[in-house]
Amino acid sequence: MVDQTVLCIGADDDVEDMAAALDEEADLAPIARTSVAEATAFLDTESVAAVVTEYELSDGTGLDVVDAIRDHAPQTPCVLYTDVSPSDIDTASFEDAIVEYLNRDLPDAADRLGFVVDDVIAHSAQVGFLVPDDEDSRLAALDSYDVDDLPIEESFDRLTDLISSHFDTAVAFIGLIDEQEEDILACTGGDWDSITREETICTHSMLQEDVMVVEDISEDKRFAQNQQLHDLGIVSYAGANMTTPEGQTIGQVCLIDHERRSYSPEQRAQLQQFAETAMEILELRQSLLEASDAEVAP
Amino acid sequence: MSLTETAQFEIPNLPLAAFEDGTSVLLTGDDTDLLESVFYRLVAAREDERSLVLATEASGRAVNRGLDGAADGASDRSAVLTCAGPDAAENVTGVDDIADLTGLGMQFSTLVADSQATTGRLRAGILLCSSICAAVDDTRSVYRFLNSNLLSQLRRNEAVGVCALDTSADIGTNVDSFLAGMKASFTGRIDVEADGPGRAILHVSGLGDDRSVEVSL
Repeated sequence: MVDQTVLCIGADDDVEDMAAALDEEADLAPIARTSVAEATAFLDTESVAAVVTEYELSDGTGLDVVDAIRDHAPQTPCVLYTDVSPSDIDTASFEDAIVEYLNRDLPDAADRLGFVVDDVIAHSAQVGFLVPDDEDSRLAALDSYDVDDLPIEESFDRLTDLISSHFDTAVAFIGLIDEQEEDILACTGGDWDSITREETICTHSMLQEDVMVVEDISEDKRFAQNQQLHDLGIVSYAGANMTTPEGQTIGQVCLIDHERRSYSPEQRAQLQQFAETAMEILELRQSLLEASDAEVAP
Repeated sequence: MSLTETAQFEIPNLPLAAFEDGTSVLLTGDDTDLLESVFYRLVAAREDERSLVLATEASGRAVNRGLDGAADGASDRSAVLTCAGPDAAENVTGVDDIADLTGLGMQFSTLVADSQATTGRLRAGILLCSSICAAVDDTRSVYRFLNSNLLSQLRRNEAVGVCALDTSADIGTNVDSFLAGMKASFTGRIDVEADGPGRAILHVSGLGDDRSVEVSL
Protein backbone atom coordinates (compact mmCIF):
# COMPACT_ATOMS: atom_id res chain seq x y z
CA MET A 1 0.00 0.00 0.00
CA VAL A 2 1.27 3.48 -0.88
CA ASP A 3 2.12 5.65 2.11
CA GLN A 4 -0.02 8.73 2.69
CA THR A 5 1.98 11.94 2.84
CA VAL A 6 1.19 14.04 5.90
CA LEU A 7 2.64 17.54 5.96
CA CYS A 8 3.71 18.51 9.50
CA ILE A 9 4.45 22.14 10.32
CA GLY A 10 5.93 23.54 13.52
CA ALA A 11 9.10 24.74 15.19
CA ASP A 12 12.00 22.27 15.05
CA ASP A 13 11.27 20.39 18.28
CA ASP A 14 7.48 20.44 17.79
CA VAL A 15 7.58 19.13 14.26
CA GLU A 16 9.95 16.32 15.25
CA ASP A 17 7.45 15.24 17.92
CA MET A 18 4.60 15.30 15.40
CA ALA A 19 6.55 13.29 12.84
CA ALA A 20 7.61 10.78 15.49
CA ALA A 21 3.98 10.27 16.56
CA LEU A 22 2.85 9.76 12.97
CA ASP A 23 5.76 7.43 12.19
CA GLU A 24 4.16 5.00 14.62
CA GLU A 25 1.23 4.62 12.24
CA ALA A 26 1.49 2.24 9.31
CA ASP A 27 0.92 3.88 5.90
CA LEU A 28 1.57 7.45 7.07
CA ALA A 29 4.62 9.29 5.74
CA PRO A 30 5.22 12.55 7.62
CA ILE A 31 7.10 15.39 5.91
CA ALA A 32 8.39 18.17 8.18
CA ARG A 33 8.40 21.89 7.45
CA THR A 34 9.00 24.71 9.93
CA SER A 35 7.20 27.77 8.55
CA VAL A 36 4.15 28.94 6.63
CA ALA A 37 6.35 29.85 3.65
CA GLU A 38 8.02 26.44 3.52
CA ALA A 39 4.68 24.69 3.89
CA THR A 40 2.90 26.66 1.17
CA ALA A 41 5.87 26.19 -1.18
CA PHE A 42 5.60 22.44 -0.61
CA LEU A 43 1.84 22.49 -1.20
CA ASP A 44 2.36 24.36 -4.47
CA THR A 45 4.15 21.36 -5.95
CA GLU A 46 3.04 18.31 -3.99
CA SER A 47 -0.27 16.79 -2.97
CA VAL A 48 -0.76 15.61 0.59
CA ALA A 49 -3.28 13.37 2.33
CA ALA A 50 -3.46 15.57 5.42
CA VAL A 51 -1.85 18.53 7.20
CA VAL A 52 -0.86 18.68 10.87
CA THR A 53 0.24 22.07 12.11
CA GLU A 54 1.16 23.97 15.26
CA TYR A 55 -0.76 27.22 15.72
CA GLU A 56 2.15 29.59 16.34
CA LEU A 57 4.67 29.55 13.52
CA SER A 58 7.69 31.79 12.89
CA ASP A 59 6.06 33.68 10.00
CA GLY A 60 2.36 33.36 10.75
CA THR A 61 -0.06 30.79 12.13
CA GLY A 62 -1.21 27.30 11.30
CA LEU A 63 -4.48 28.79 10.06
CA ASP A 64 -2.51 30.56 7.30
CA VAL A 65 -1.45 27.13 6.07
CA VAL A 66 -5.02 25.83 6.31
CA ASP A 67 -6.23 28.82 4.35
CA ALA A 68 -3.66 28.12 1.63
CA ILE A 69 -4.59 24.46 1.26
CA ARG A 70 -8.32 25.23 1.18
CA ASP A 71 -7.56 27.22 -1.99
CA HIS A 72 -5.60 24.38 -3.64
CA ALA A 73 -7.31 21.25 -2.35
CA PRO A 74 -10.34 22.09 -0.20
CA GLN A 75 -11.05 18.48 0.72
CA THR A 76 -7.67 17.98 2.44
CA PRO A 77 -8.14 17.39 6.19
CA CYS A 78 -6.16 19.62 8.56
CA VAL A 79 -5.33 19.07 12.23
CA LEU A 80 -4.33 21.93 14.51
CA TYR A 81 -2.06 20.27 17.08
CA THR A 82 -1.24 22.87 19.66
CA ASP A 83 -1.13 23.80 23.32
CA VAL A 84 -2.76 27.15 22.58
CA SER A 85 -6.33 27.28 23.91
CA PRO A 86 -9.14 27.83 21.37
CA SER A 87 -10.03 31.06 23.16
CA ASP A 88 -6.54 32.41 22.41
CA ILE A 89 -6.61 31.51 18.74
CA ASP A 90 -7.42 34.34 16.36
CA THR A 91 -9.98 32.95 13.93
CA ALA A 92 -11.32 36.31 12.77
CA SER A 93 -9.96 35.91 9.24
CA PHE A 94 -10.48 32.15 9.07
CA GLU A 95 -14.11 31.69 10.05
CA ASP A 96 -14.76 28.90 7.55
CA ALA A 97 -11.32 27.24 7.55
CA ILE A 98 -12.57 24.51 9.92
CA VAL A 99 -9.92 22.19 11.31
CA GLU A 100 -9.62 19.34 13.71
CA TYR A 101 -8.36 20.78 17.01
CA LEU A 102 -6.20 18.54 19.20
CA ASN A 103 -4.70 19.85 22.42
CA ARG A 104 -1.11 18.63 22.57
CA ASP A 105 -1.10 19.02 26.37
CA LEU A 106 -3.49 16.07 26.75
CA PRO A 107 -1.70 13.15 28.44
CA ASP A 108 -2.23 10.84 25.46
CA ALA A 109 -1.99 13.54 22.78
CA ALA A 110 0.72 11.83 20.74
CA ASP A 111 -1.26 8.57 20.60
CA ARG A 112 -4.43 10.46 19.69
CA LEU A 113 -2.67 12.34 16.89
CA GLY A 114 -1.95 9.18 14.91
CA PHE A 115 -5.49 7.90 15.45
CA VAL A 116 -7.07 11.21 14.46
CA VAL A 117 -4.94 11.63 11.33
CA ASP A 118 -5.74 8.07 10.24
CA ASP A 119 -9.44 8.75 10.82
CA VAL A 120 -9.63 12.07 9.00
CA ILE A 121 -7.85 10.60 5.98
CA ALA A 122 -9.93 7.41 5.90
CA HIS A 123 -13.23 9.24 6.23
CA SER A 124 -12.47 12.46 4.30
CA ALA A 125 -13.55 14.06 7.55
CA GLN A 126 -13.54 17.72 6.59
CA VAL A 127 -15.18 17.76 3.18
CA GLY A 128 -17.63 20.53 2.44
CA PHE A 129 -20.46 18.21 1.50
CA LEU A 130 -22.45 15.43 3.10
CA VAL A 131 -22.05 11.82 2.06
CA PRO A 132 -24.93 9.33 2.20
CA ASP A 133 -25.11 7.10 5.25
CA ASP A 134 -24.60 4.07 2.97
CA GLU A 135 -21.63 5.54 1.08
CA ASP A 136 -19.48 2.37 1.34
CA SER A 137 -22.09 0.17 -0.31
CA ARG A 138 -22.83 2.90 -2.86
CA LEU A 139 -19.15 3.02 -3.86
CA ALA A 140 -19.05 -0.79 -4.03
CA ALA A 141 -22.05 -0.69 -6.38
CA LEU A 142 -20.30 1.88 -8.59
CA ASP A 143 -17.16 -0.26 -8.57
CA SER A 144 -19.10 -3.23 -9.94
CA TYR A 145 -19.41 -1.47 -13.32
CA ASP A 146 -16.31 -1.74 -15.51
CA VAL A 147 -16.93 1.71 -16.93
CA ASP A 148 -13.50 2.04 -18.55
CA ASP A 149 -14.01 -1.21 -20.47
CA LEU A 150 -17.59 -0.54 -21.62
CA PRO A 151 -18.25 0.88 -25.11
CA ILE A 152 -20.75 3.41 -23.79
CA GLU A 153 -19.19 6.67 -24.91
CA GLU A 154 -20.99 6.90 -28.26
CA SER A 155 -24.33 5.82 -26.79
CA PHE A 156 -24.08 8.39 -24.02
CA ASP A 157 -22.93 11.09 -26.44
CA ARG A 158 -26.02 10.48 -28.56
CA LEU A 159 -28.18 10.49 -25.46
CA THR A 160 -26.86 13.83 -24.13
CA ASP A 161 -27.33 15.30 -27.65
CA LEU A 162 -30.95 14.20 -27.51
CA ILE A 163 -31.47 15.44 -23.96
CA SER A 164 -29.98 18.85 -24.67
CA SER A 165 -32.10 19.20 -27.81
CA HIS A 166 -35.27 18.01 -26.08
CA PHE A 167 -35.02 20.50 -23.22
CA ASP A 168 -33.28 23.23 -25.24
CA THR A 169 -30.58 23.66 -22.63
CA ALA A 170 -27.02 24.89 -23.09
CA VAL A 171 -25.51 21.75 -21.58
CA ALA A 172 -26.59 18.18 -20.85
CA PHE A 173 -24.27 15.67 -19.25
CA ILE A 174 -24.07 12.21 -17.70
CA GLY A 175 -21.75 11.75 -14.73
CA LEU A 176 -20.82 9.00 -12.31
CA ILE A 177 -19.95 10.05 -8.75
CA ASP A 178 -17.01 8.35 -7.07
CA GLU A 179 -15.45 9.04 -3.69
CA GLN A 180 -13.63 12.21 -4.72
CA GLU A 181 -15.17 13.51 -7.92
CA GLU A 182 -17.84 13.28 -10.57
CA ASP A 183 -16.54 11.63 -13.73
CA ILE A 184 -18.33 13.13 -16.73
CA LEU A 185 -18.89 10.32 -19.26
CA ALA A 186 -20.68 12.41 -21.89
CA CYS A 187 -21.32 16.11 -22.20
CA THR A 188 -23.13 18.05 -24.90
CA GLY A 189 -22.49 21.78 -24.90
CA GLY A 190 -19.41 21.69 -22.67
CA ASP A 191 -15.92 20.22 -22.56
CA TRP A 192 -16.03 18.86 -19.04
CA ASP A 193 -14.11 15.77 -17.87
CA SER A 194 -14.65 15.83 -14.13
CA ILE A 195 -15.71 18.06 -11.26
CA THR A 196 -14.65 17.55 -7.65
CA ARG A 197 -17.34 16.25 -5.38
CA GLU A 198 -17.15 19.39 -3.27
CA GLU A 199 -17.82 21.59 -6.29
CA THR A 200 -20.44 19.67 -8.25
CA ILE A 201 -24.13 20.29 -7.63
CA CYS A 202 -24.72 16.58 -8.26
CA THR A 203 -23.22 15.93 -4.80
CA HIS A 204 -26.48 17.34 -3.44
CA SER A 205 -28.82 16.09 -6.15
CA MET A 206 -27.78 12.46 -5.58
CA LEU A 207 -28.98 12.68 -1.98
CA GLN A 208 -32.59 13.38 -2.85
CA GLU A 209 -34.99 10.90 -4.41
CA ASP A 210 -36.73 13.20 -6.86
CA VAL A 211 -35.30 15.46 -9.55
CA MET A 212 -33.43 18.39 -8.03
CA VAL A 213 -33.81 21.80 -9.64
CA VAL A 214 -31.88 24.96 -8.81
CA GLU A 215 -33.40 27.77 -10.80
CA ASP A 216 -30.56 30.21 -10.07
CA ILE A 217 -27.47 29.13 -8.16
CA SER A 218 -26.77 32.70 -7.04
CA GLU A 219 -29.91 32.50 -4.89
CA ASP A 220 -28.87 29.29 -3.12
CA LYS A 221 -26.22 29.44 -0.37
CA ARG A 222 -25.05 25.93 -1.18
CA PHE A 223 -23.76 27.17 -4.54
CA ALA A 224 -23.70 30.96 -4.62
CA GLN A 225 -20.08 31.15 -3.35
CA ASN A 226 -18.87 28.26 -5.51
CA GLN A 227 -16.53 30.02 -7.92
CA GLN A 228 -15.98 27.00 -10.17
CA LEU A 229 -19.69 26.81 -10.97
CA HIS A 230 -19.69 30.49 -11.91
CA ASP A 231 -16.53 30.02 -13.99
CA LEU A 232 -18.31 27.27 -15.93
CA GLY A 233 -21.15 29.67 -16.64
CA ILE A 234 -23.69 27.64 -14.69
CA VAL A 235 -26.81 29.55 -13.67
CA SER A 236 -29.54 26.90 -13.53
CA TYR A 237 -29.38 23.17 -12.85
CA ALA A 238 -31.61 20.11 -12.97
CA GLY A 239 -30.38 16.63 -12.05
CA ALA A 240 -31.93 13.15 -11.94
CA ASN A 241 -30.54 10.06 -10.26
CA MET A 242 -29.08 7.05 -12.07
CA THR A 243 -30.01 4.31 -9.67
CA THR A 244 -28.88 0.67 -9.82
CA PRO A 245 -31.47 -2.14 -9.72
CA GLU A 246 -30.41 -2.62 -6.08
CA GLY A 247 -31.29 0.99 -5.25
CA GLN A 248 -27.84 2.64 -5.11
CA THR A 249 -27.47 6.06 -6.72
CA ILE A 250 -24.23 6.04 -8.70
CA GLY A 251 -24.64 8.92 -11.11
CA GLN A 252 -26.67 11.77 -12.50
CA VAL A 253 -28.18 12.96 -15.75
CA CYS A 254 -28.12 16.74 -15.69
CA LEU A 255 -29.24 19.86 -17.47
CA ILE A 256 -27.33 23.13 -17.21
CA ASP A 257 -28.27 26.52 -18.53
CA HIS A 258 -26.50 29.83 -18.60
CA GLU A 259 -29.66 31.63 -17.60
CA ARG A 260 -32.27 31.26 -14.91
CA ARG A 261 -34.93 28.71 -15.72
CA SER A 262 -37.50 26.43 -14.15
CA TYR A 263 -38.81 22.99 -15.09
CA SER A 264 -42.42 21.82 -15.08
CA PRO A 265 -43.43 18.57 -13.32
CA GLU A 266 -43.70 16.95 -16.76
CA GLN A 267 -40.19 18.03 -17.70
CA ARG A 268 -38.82 16.72 -14.40
CA ALA A 269 -40.50 13.37 -15.04
CA GLN A 270 -39.00 13.30 -18.54
CA LEU A 271 -35.52 14.01 -17.15
CA GLN A 272 -35.97 11.12 -14.74
CA GLN A 273 -36.90 8.91 -17.69
CA PHE A 274 -33.71 9.90 -19.48
CA ALA A 275 -31.72 9.01 -16.34
CA GLU A 276 -33.40 5.60 -16.24
CA THR A 277 -32.52 5.12 -19.92
CA ALA A 278 -28.87 5.97 -19.21
CA MET A 279 -28.85 3.45 -16.38
CA GLU A 280 -30.36 0.78 -18.64
CA ILE A 281 -27.65 1.39 -21.24
CA LEU A 282 -24.99 0.99 -18.56
CA GLU A 283 -26.63 -2.19 -17.25
CA LEU A 284 -26.96 -3.73 -20.70
CA ARG A 285 -23.37 -2.93 -21.66
CA GLN A 286 -22.15 -4.41 -18.38
CA SER A 287 -24.22 -7.57 -18.94
CA LEU A 288 -22.78 -7.97 -22.44
CA LEU A 289 -19.24 -7.53 -21.12
CA GLU A 290 -19.77 -10.13 -18.41
CA ALA A 291 -21.33 -12.56 -20.90
CA SER A 292 -18.43 -12.05 -23.26
CA ASP A 293 -15.88 -12.60 -20.45
CA ALA A 294 -17.69 -15.80 -19.46
CA GLU A 295 -17.49 -17.11 -23.04
CA VAL A 296 -13.71 -16.66 -23.32
CA ALA A 297 -12.98 -18.02 -19.84
CA PRO A 298 -11.45 -21.55 -19.95
CA MET B 1 -23.50 -17.50 21.01
CA SER B 2 -23.50 -14.06 22.53
CA LEU B 3 -25.70 -11.07 21.93
CA THR B 4 -24.20 -8.14 20.07
CA GLU B 5 -22.56 -5.86 22.60
CA THR B 6 -23.41 -2.56 20.94
CA ALA B 7 -23.75 0.27 23.45
CA GLN B 8 -27.29 1.58 23.77
CA PHE B 9 -28.58 5.00 24.73
CA GLU B 10 -32.01 4.78 26.34
CA ILE B 11 -34.72 7.36 25.56
CA PRO B 12 -36.95 6.74 28.58
CA ASN B 13 -39.35 9.67 28.24
CA LEU B 14 -40.21 9.23 24.57
CA PRO B 15 -41.81 6.17 22.96
CA LEU B 16 -38.65 5.38 21.00
CA ALA B 17 -36.34 2.38 21.04
CA ALA B 18 -32.87 2.94 22.49
CA PHE B 19 -30.35 4.43 20.07
CA GLU B 20 -27.30 2.37 19.20
CA ASP B 21 -23.84 3.81 19.67
CA GLY B 22 -22.97 6.02 16.67
CA THR B 23 -26.57 6.95 15.81
CA SER B 24 -27.06 10.39 14.30
CA VAL B 25 -30.53 11.94 14.33
CA LEU B 26 -31.84 14.81 12.26
CA LEU B 27 -34.57 16.47 14.34
CA THR B 28 -36.85 18.77 12.35
CA GLY B 29 -39.98 20.81 12.79
CA ASP B 30 -41.42 24.29 12.47
CA ASP B 31 -42.35 24.81 16.14
CA THR B 32 -39.15 25.64 18.04
CA ASP B 33 -40.72 25.08 21.48
CA LEU B 34 -41.70 21.54 20.56
CA LEU B 35 -38.34 20.98 18.86
CA GLU B 36 -36.50 22.05 22.03
CA SER B 37 -38.66 19.83 24.20
CA VAL B 38 -37.92 16.74 22.09
CA PHE B 39 -34.26 17.73 21.72
CA TYR B 40 -33.68 17.85 25.48
CA ARG B 41 -35.36 14.46 25.97
CA LEU B 42 -33.01 12.95 23.39
CA VAL B 43 -29.83 14.65 24.56
CA ALA B 44 -30.12 14.82 28.38
CA ALA B 45 -27.37 12.67 29.94
CA ARG B 46 -28.33 9.73 32.13
CA GLU B 47 -26.29 8.61 35.15
CA ASP B 48 -23.27 7.18 33.35
CA GLU B 49 -23.23 9.67 30.47
CA ARG B 50 -22.27 13.21 29.55
CA SER B 51 -24.10 15.72 27.33
CA LEU B 52 -22.60 18.33 25.06
CA VAL B 53 -25.00 20.93 23.67
CA LEU B 54 -24.19 23.61 21.13
CA ALA B 55 -27.01 26.15 21.55
CA THR B 56 -27.36 28.90 18.98
CA GLU B 57 -30.34 30.79 20.37
CA ALA B 58 -30.92 29.45 23.90
CA SER B 59 -28.92 30.79 26.84
CA GLY B 60 -26.83 28.50 29.00
CA ARG B 61 -29.34 28.88 31.80
CA ALA B 62 -32.22 27.87 29.50
CA VAL B 63 -30.32 24.85 28.21
CA ASN B 64 -29.53 23.69 31.74
CA ARG B 65 -33.19 24.08 32.66
CA GLY B 66 -34.25 22.10 29.61
CA LEU B 67 -31.80 19.28 30.32
CA ASP B 68 -32.83 19.05 33.97
CA GLY B 69 -36.47 18.97 32.94
CA ALA B 70 -35.74 15.95 30.75
CA ALA B 71 -33.55 14.04 33.23
CA ASP B 72 -32.92 14.83 36.90
CA GLY B 73 -29.52 16.44 37.41
CA ALA B 74 -28.64 16.24 33.71
CA SER B 75 -27.10 19.71 33.68
CA ASP B 76 -24.51 18.55 36.24
CA ARG B 77 -23.35 16.03 33.67
CA SER B 78 -23.33 18.47 30.75
CA ALA B 79 -21.26 21.04 28.93
CA VAL B 80 -23.00 23.84 27.06
CA LEU B 81 -21.57 25.98 24.29
CA THR B 82 -23.90 28.89 23.68
CA CYS B 83 -23.98 31.69 21.16
CA ALA B 84 -26.72 33.46 23.15
CA GLY B 85 -25.78 35.43 26.22
CA PRO B 86 -22.84 35.34 28.64
CA ASP B 87 -21.55 32.36 30.61
CA ALA B 88 -24.22 31.68 33.22
CA ALA B 89 -22.85 28.67 35.02
CA GLU B 90 -19.73 26.61 35.46
CA ASN B 91 -20.68 24.24 32.65
CA VAL B 92 -21.45 27.01 30.14
CA THR B 93 -19.01 28.48 27.60
CA GLY B 94 -20.01 31.53 25.60
CA VAL B 95 -19.22 31.92 21.91
CA ASP B 96 -18.95 35.41 20.44
CA ASP B 97 -19.72 34.78 16.80
CA ILE B 98 -22.00 32.01 15.53
CA ALA B 99 -20.57 32.40 12.02
CA ASP B 100 -17.02 31.65 13.23
CA LEU B 101 -17.27 27.94 12.58
CA THR B 102 -13.50 27.48 12.93
CA GLY B 103 -13.58 28.79 16.51
CA LEU B 104 -16.86 27.03 17.27
CA GLY B 105 -15.43 23.71 16.08
CA MET B 106 -12.31 24.03 18.20
CA GLN B 107 -14.39 24.80 21.30
CA PHE B 108 -16.63 21.84 20.52
CA SER B 109 -13.62 19.47 20.14
CA THR B 110 -12.16 20.69 23.43
CA LEU B 111 -15.41 19.99 25.27
CA VAL B 112 -15.67 16.52 23.73
CA ALA B 113 -12.15 15.77 24.99
CA ASP B 114 -13.10 17.10 28.45
CA SER B 115 -16.22 14.90 28.49
CA GLN B 116 -14.17 11.86 27.58
CA ALA B 117 -11.98 12.45 30.61
CA THR B 118 -15.08 11.86 32.79
CA THR B 119 -16.99 9.12 30.96
CA GLY B 120 -16.77 7.59 27.53
CA ARG B 121 -20.52 7.82 26.82
CA LEU B 122 -21.62 11.05 25.19
CA ARG B 123 -24.85 12.57 23.89
CA ALA B 124 -24.03 15.52 21.63
CA GLY B 125 -26.48 17.93 20.07
CA ILE B 126 -26.82 21.09 18.04
CA LEU B 127 -29.79 23.36 18.73
CA LEU B 128 -30.40 24.87 16.15
CA CYS B 129 -28.40 24.00 13.04
CA SER B 130 -30.74 26.24 11.02
CA SER B 131 -29.33 29.28 12.89
CA ILE B 132 -25.83 28.34 11.77
CA CYS B 133 -27.01 27.89 8.17
CA ALA B 134 -28.65 31.32 8.27
CA ALA B 135 -25.53 32.97 9.70
CA VAL B 136 -22.96 31.78 7.17
CA ASP B 137 -22.60 32.80 3.52
CA ASP B 138 -21.54 29.41 2.20
CA THR B 139 -23.40 26.28 3.28
CA ARG B 140 -20.34 24.17 2.44
CA SER B 141 -18.86 25.52 5.69
CA VAL B 142 -21.79 24.05 7.61
CA TYR B 143 -21.26 20.66 5.98
CA ARG B 144 -17.54 20.85 6.80
CA PHE B 145 -18.41 21.78 10.39
CA LEU B 146 -20.86 18.88 10.78
CA ASN B 147 -18.40 16.42 9.22
CA SER B 148 -15.45 17.65 11.24
CA ASN B 149 -17.19 17.90 14.58
CA LEU B 150 -20.51 16.14 15.15
CA LEU B 151 -20.28 13.22 12.70
CA SER B 152 -16.57 12.54 13.36
CA GLN B 153 -17.11 12.41 17.10
CA LEU B 154 -19.97 9.92 16.71
CA ARG B 155 -17.69 7.69 14.67
CA ARG B 156 -14.78 7.84 17.11
CA ASN B 157 -16.52 7.76 20.46
CA GLU B 158 -19.27 5.90 22.25
CA ALA B 159 -21.79 8.57 21.37
CA VAL B 160 -25.06 9.57 19.78
CA GLY B 161 -25.80 12.92 18.16
CA VAL B 162 -28.83 15.07 17.45
CA CYS B 163 -28.93 17.94 14.99
CA ALA B 164 -32.08 20.07 15.34
CA LEU B 165 -33.28 22.19 12.46
CA ASP B 166 -36.15 24.69 12.39
CA THR B 167 -37.80 24.10 9.02
CA SER B 168 -39.54 27.49 9.12
CA ALA B 169 -36.22 29.38 9.25
CA ASP B 170 -34.81 31.15 6.21
CA ILE B 171 -31.55 29.28 5.62
CA GLY B 172 -30.80 30.75 2.21
CA THR B 173 -31.51 27.58 0.28
CA ASN B 174 -34.38 25.30 -0.64
CA VAL B 175 -35.27 23.76 2.73
CA ASP B 176 -36.80 20.57 1.29
CA SER B 177 -33.78 19.90 -0.89
CA PHE B 178 -31.40 20.72 1.98
CA LEU B 179 -33.30 18.38 4.32
CA ALA B 180 -33.28 15.59 1.76
CA GLY B 181 -29.50 15.78 1.71
CA MET B 182 -29.21 15.95 5.48
CA LYS B 183 -31.60 13.03 5.91
CA ALA B 184 -29.53 10.82 3.61
CA SER B 185 -26.43 11.53 5.68
CA PHE B 186 -27.86 10.92 9.14
CA THR B 187 -28.92 7.57 10.54
CA GLY B 188 -32.49 8.69 11.06
CA ARG B 189 -34.91 11.56 11.18
CA ILE B 190 -37.56 12.64 13.67
CA ASP B 191 -39.98 15.26 12.39
CA VAL B 192 -42.00 17.00 15.08
CA GLU B 193 -45.54 18.05 14.14
CA ALA B 194 -47.72 20.10 16.50
CA ASP B 195 -50.90 18.28 17.50
CA GLY B 196 -52.72 20.62 19.86
CA PRO B 197 -51.59 22.23 23.12
CA GLY B 198 -48.70 20.31 24.68
CA ARG B 199 -49.00 17.52 22.18
CA ALA B 200 -47.04 16.48 19.11
CA ILE B 201 -46.77 13.73 16.58
CA LEU B 202 -43.26 12.40 15.99
CA HIS B 203 -42.71 11.07 12.48
CA VAL B 204 -39.78 8.69 12.89
CA SER B 205 -37.74 7.22 10.02
CA GLY B 206 -34.46 5.34 9.79
CA LEU B 207 -34.45 4.42 13.48
CA GLY B 208 -35.89 0.91 13.35
CA ASP B 209 -39.49 0.78 12.22
CA ASP B 210 -40.67 3.91 10.40
CA ARG B 211 -43.74 5.15 12.24
CA SER B 212 -45.63 8.12 13.67
CA VAL B 213 -46.24 8.35 17.42
CA GLU B 214 -48.27 10.79 19.50
CA VAL B 215 -46.52 12.29 22.52
CA SER B 216 -47.27 14.74 25.32
CA LEU B 217 -44.58 17.39 25.74
